[in-house]
Amino acid sequence: MLFSSITFLFLFLPIVLAVYYLVPYKVKNIVLLIASLFFYAWGEPVYVILMILSIVFNYFCGQDIKVNEDDPRKAKHGVIFALVGNLLILGFFKYYGFLVETLNAVLPTDIPYRELALPVGISFYTFQAISYILDVYWKRAQVQKNILYFALYISMFPQLIAGPIVRYSDIEEQLRSRKMNAVKIGNGAVYFIIGLAKKVILANSAGAVFEEISGMAAGNLSILTAWIGVISYAFQIYFDFSGYSDMALGLGKMFGFEFRKNFDYPYISKSVTEFWRRWHISLSTWFREYVYIPLGGNRCSVSRNIFNLMVVWALTGMWHGAAWNFVAWGVYYGVVLVMEKYIWGVFVDRLPNPVRHIYTAIIVLVGWVFFFSPSLGYAMRYLLAMIGGGAGIVDNTGVFILISHWLLYLFAVIASSSLGIRLIKAVIRVPRNQYVQLTVAAVIFIGMFLISVAFLVTGTFNPFLYFRF
Amino acid sequence: MMSKKPGIAHIMKYVVFMLIVVFVVLLMLFASGSNKSFDEVRQGVEGSLDTEVLTEQEPAVFKRNFSLNAADYDGVMYYSSGSNISAEEVLLIKVKSESQIQEITDAIDQRVEARINDFDGYAPDQVKLLENVRQSVRGTYIFFACSQDADAYLSAFSSSL
Repeated sequence: MLFSSITFLFLFLPIVLAVYYLVPYKVKNIVLLIASLFFYAWGEPVYVILMILSIVFNYFCGQDIKVNEDDPRKAKHGVIFALVGNLLILGFFKYYGFLVETLNAVLPTDIPYRELALPVGISFYTFQAISYILDVYWKRAQVQKNILYFALYISMFPQLIAGPIVRYSDIEEQLRSRKMNAVKIGNGAVYFIIGLAKKVILANSAGAVFEEISGMAAGNLSILTAWIGVISYAFQIYFDFSGYSDMALGLGKMFGFEFRKNFDYPYISKSVTEFWRRWHISLSTWFREYVYIPLGGNRCSVSRNIFNLMVVWALTGMWHGAAWNFVAWGVYYGVVLVMEKYIWGVFVDRLPNPVRHIYTAIIVLVGWVFFFSPSLGYAMRYLLAMIGGGAGIVDNTGVFILISHWLLYLFAVIASSSLGIRLIKAVIRVPRNQYVQLTVAAVIFIGMFLISVAFLVTGTFNPFLYFRF
Repeated sequence: MMSKKPGIAHIMKYVVFMLIVVFVVLLMLFASGSNKSFDEVRQGVEGSLDTEVLTEQEPAVFKRNFSLNAADYDGVMYYSSGSNISAEEVLLIKVKSESQIQEITDAIDQRVEARINDFDGYAPDQVKLLENVRQSVRGTYIFFACSQDADAYLSAFSSSL
């Protein structure tokens, strides 16, 4: 089920919210768990069984690690088994076909294989399970004795499908007790509406432009059209994913949970390092906490630190998908971040701010070319078109798209910086009376919701980009 | 020193892991797709069809009946009856990405619903066929059959993967 679907907005969410707030406090987690399993089973009736088995597996692995906490050898065996088990499951569903295809490509073999659909959200909930296992092993969190609470942590529908990846230590206390009140529900609704608008108005519109341009042969693109294409994709993926994250945060608040923010206006960054502190924060934090620091982080020699960074970024690329373009995308960022850290970072810091913004934008946009390309060959042809290797500098397609979509790009630029929210807040604060301010806020957000619904009703099926990860 | 007996959690984690392995094996047997080309799977299905009843249709007919564009997918095979009073049809699609599956299954549901409305009241045998259609999603392949021989066609589809 999609957050941005009529069924979710007008049936599932109102019913679950009503039942959740009508039942006694002790039963609320059970209501949320049942709703979450139903939500997942709606789109994945078979794979919900896999998720339940994964929950039970990790629950017992956690218990076993706790039982053996006084015996480091057994505890270590327990944690290794749990990690290998989780990674085998994730690896099988995500990388098995890719592995066989790669073998068939490099060896004179034609190994047949049977494809399985990727279970939606498996990368996210597996990472949450690993977070739990390692937090328990490192004694950052208590083992969860209540399997219903643990199942809720793994399967909670607001962040189940596409994150943010919630670390167990962050949410352990909230599973037991959390504050729920009208103000929090209201704030949650505002977050949700902003996320919905980002997705259905901005992301889908930018996506339509990108789809049109990416449907053309890369060799037929002018410099202008190629850049419009990649900029459109940059806006699409940002508003799509940050919109989903805003909706997840908002839904969490409506049910009393506080998740950490997943995006912090990444496109205003003045360096690539800063960009990655602002983009998909929960994934970067996960890799930092559970891979980079255990590998030694930066408290080691320069060569070891470079190795650690490259491992983390190759894994980040692989996490996004079983394809060489994602590996290239991850390695690309690994190299850029190493260079920024050890070679040109000090020079970048001394540049005027506009130049730093342009530098970051170019690096990020080139990165998106690797990300959206179906193959490395296409990525190279597209990059070539961006520097003039396609159909000249300007063509009619590019000019037409600019003229017909300038308003979309204006809104996109405003909404991808804090300017958008500041403008809304400024409008709300124009009247001095507090009640009038509340009325203005209600009109703005209800209006935003209705416009989003209108886009939904007239639009085509548009799943979130991050569902495939 | 006596070693402790393994606890219930220790045993259960292996039991559940084995259950996961069994589940994956069952998925591979009954729900997996194939890396065979569309033409190979198509041949397997086509060979089983009763071509006296079913004839292959142009992409335009597929678009009219399902509101989908054949060019959007890796491959489309669409057979239907030439008769206006028959609901028999067989559809095989290979999608380019899994994100396309939902739109196709939705289109098939809508098609079945529309056909039931068309035949309701004057062709109860066709309505019965429409109420017993066979549909299967296996990896990137989607199969749909509305026919008296739907089970045989579905079986041919499964074997062709």
